[in-house]
Amino acid sequence: MDLNYSDEQLLLKESAERFLKERYDFERRGKIIASETGFDSGIWSDMADLGWLALPFAEENGGLGGGAVEISLIMEAVGRALMVEPYLTSVILAGGLVEKLGSEEQRVEILGGLIAGTSRPALAHAERQTGFDLGNIAATAIRSGEGYLISAEKPLVLGGQFADVFLVSARLDGAVKLFAVPADASGLTSTEVKLVDGSRASDLVLDNVRVAASALFGAGADTLAEIEAAHDRANAALASEAVGIMDALMDATVAYTKERVQFGKPLAAFQALQHRMGEMAVKCQEARGSALLATLSVDAPRSMRIRGVSGARAKIGKVSRSVAQEAIQLHGAMGFSEEMPVGAWFRRLYAMENTFGTTADHLKRYGEIIRDPAVLSGSLLREPV
Amino acid sequence: MDLLMTKDEVLFRDEVRAFLDAHLSEDLKRAERLNPSFLADPSVGLKWQAKLNDKGWVAPSWPKQYGGTGWTLAERYIFDQECEQAGEPHLRGASIKMIAPVIMRYGNDAQKGFYLPRILNGEDIWAQGYSEPGSGSDLASLKTRADLDGDHYIVNGSKIWSTLAHHATRMFALVRTADTGKKQEGITFILIDLKSPGVIIRPIRSICGTHEFNQVFFDDVKVPVSDRIGQEGEGWDIAKYLLEFERGGAFAGGVLRAMLTRIHRLASEPLPDGRKMIDDPLFMARFAEIATDVDANDMLELAAMSKVQAGGNPGAVPSSTMKIERSRIRQSIAELAASILGPDALRWEEHRPLHELPEESELNEERKVASAVYFNSRSQSIFGGSNEIQLEIIAKTLLR
Ligand SMILES: Cc1cc2nc3c(=O)[nH]c(=O)nc-3n(C[C@H](O)[C@H](O)[C@H](O)COP(=O)(O)OP(=O)(O)OC[C@H]3O[C@@H](n4cnc5c(N)ncnc54)[C@H](O)[C@@H]3O)c2cc1C
Repeated sequence: MDLNYSDEQLLLKESAERFLKERYDFERRGKIIASETGFDSGIWSDMADLGWLALPFAEENGGLGGGAVEISLIMEAVGRALMVEPYLTSVILAGGLVEKLGSEEQRVEILGGLIAGTSRPALAHAERQTGFDLGNIAATAIRSGEGYLISAEKPLVLGGQFADVFLVSARLDGAVKLFAVPADASGLTSTEVKLVDGSRASDLVLDNVRVAASALFGAGADTLAEIEAAHDRANAALASEAVGIMDALMDATVAYTKERVQFGKPLAAFQALQHRMGEMAVKCQEARGSALLATLSVDAPRSMRIRGVSGARAKIGKVSRSVAQEAIQLHGAMGFSEEMPVGAWFRRLYAMENTFGTTADHLKRYGEIIRDPAVLSGSLLREPV
Repeated sequence: MDLLMTKDEVLFRDEVRAFLDAHLSEDLKRAERLNPSFLADPSVGLKWQAKLNDKGWVAPSWPKQYGGTGWTLAERYIFDQECEQAGEPHLRGASIKMIAPVIMRYGNDAQKGFYLPRILNGEDIWAQGYSEPGSGSDLASLKTRADLDGDHYIVNGSKIWSTLAHHATRMFALVRTADTGKKQEGITFILIDLKSPGVIIRPIRSICGTHEFNQVFFDDVKVPVSDRIGQEGEGWDIAKYLLEFERGGAFAGGVLRAMLTRIHRLASEPLPDGRKMIDDPLFMARFAEIATDVDANDMLELAAMSKVQAGGNPGAVPSSTMKIERSRIRQSIAELAASILGPDALRWEEHRPLHELPEESELNEERKVASAVYFNSRSQSIFGGSNEIQLEIIAKTLLR
């Protein structure tokens, strides 16, 4: 066991924070959100140059071989900066699936483009009825000539507005499979959706979209299990993003109450408020612990992975909501206005509570898994495999 | 003690219901359903106010001599519960509930005769001008100046967070007329015509995406001395009197019960995966818990108002308790409603007002507005004296 960041990791953390602080302040973000595309291509190519887009992938795929800890550091910085570009959805979620399931050719093409900053894949999996049951998929793929015809309705595809290729799940002979579908395929319609956190998604409809045989990912693999594992990696990343936001809310609240004077004193001089901020800090610490457990559980056996990841999403959903509400309250009317980033952090945390499973969904999933006494009683330390 | 309605009160309730059935149109209900804010957009509120005015029911809490209803407490409670269940637009804000009682108590006959009828018929909409950039909870530190110049005051400074000032015709404001003595003693209460030269209104958007409050700047704005309420230096006492109305002077329980009823409808509808939230024990436990809060708050309101009716004062602790509880209940209902949206919670409709968008099913519209209602609910514990300030009042009373 070792829970200390390495020197390289500390450097990465510092450089991620510095880069986003310089390049992605609140005002700049406001301009990106209000722009036609809602996306800053300059930032994206800078991230390619910094190696962020290559970070989680194996060296043999052109990546840097970073692990979940490195990702968590980037995500904390992403959270604080409220970045709307699809790092989580294109790199971690879709990129991760391409790496796990893609053929040599697919990896070269899609991952190569992703790492270079020229391609942004997006996963189109969940459907309206899917809820938190990732296997509840109605989309169909049928063989036709040399390839497949895919029909699907995929609402709220995150990162979809910025994607050039979709990983679309559909049932082929009853089993869920993934297919690469170019964004400009004929029969595919994409409708832009504005999201509560300022980012954008797509409602996708595929009506008999024809793809080549080579579009199929992982012919022999258990695709659904890989999709679930990819969601857990994404959920661990979300947990770290939330921690980054919570720390930012904490810092902003401390700074504001030190500056704002009422009744002849800074607000921070009132003990009632000192204790409230003390409680916020307790929650930030707890969330950090949960997020770290999630981060270090993504490669664990499934039950341990769920304990770490869904436990963190459930716990962090609750404490992050409370910290955000407190931050608004302690800012008074200023926190209720759009003049400050407090409200934007609050809204991003709210979006996260409804992304890749709600807080309640994760609590239930966690509750199910700890019914197994072996999981419940097992310490956090595991035997190496 | 009992909770029984008299025969007349039953008849009254039926009369209110029949009136609401006949006059509260689907359009108005829909506009209110799609309103994330505390108060209705005046374009909506005034339409409903006109219908109430024809019936003489605009101001349930005003005495009859000023054009109010003169209703008993029980009648007002019944009216509030019925209007809220029916989904009326919330039009009773700064005009009817705040400035009117002040004018009745402190205004002279000329002021009463001029301003009160204009409130009832909707000619005037009032904004509240208390807070300033440097003065929120510590209201008495306010700096906006009013300097006497013949038969006018010359006003300079700025008010902030003025709700609906961009629709208002007038603002009642606390201004500084003296810098000597205790800071409370130099405050005066004046009425400002917002069309006066030198008034500039800057919009501020809230975290729920709506433009509902503003910053208002005054640059040498002339206000006739005849638009001062009470004496110079009496502003602080008047403000305290008014705050009683803002905090506890009217029923608020009806809206909470109506909001609960709305969530219940939403939760009874099958989700896309076939489940219903009302079958979910996690949801139901929270729902039932909040419902007990609503009942308790209703009783608190009735008890406080009974005291007032018997000529007493509800007291600081119950008043502040109600302000705190109402805000918490409203926030927890809004939070619970938003928690059952699932992934659709991500969808954000920017357009305001929402009722201008094409009509959808009632439940879809409930879903569309639920996130914004939740965001908006966070203001409940901030305005009208924050919950921390209420706790200060309670603690001071206890430890006196
Ligand atoms: C939606 C909305 C509508 C509003 N409409 C109007 C309007 O129409 N007209 C108008 O005049 N004003 C309006 N206000 C302003 C409102 O009255 C103020 O927000 C309120 O008085 C608090 O002041 P503040 O926002 O400056 O917060 P601050 O006073 O700066 O307080 C910030 C935080 O510190 C806490 N705090 C302050 N002092 C203490 C203390 N001594 N001990 C412990 N905690 C303390 C507060 O409770 C709050 O949590 C509105 C506000 C909102 C949010």
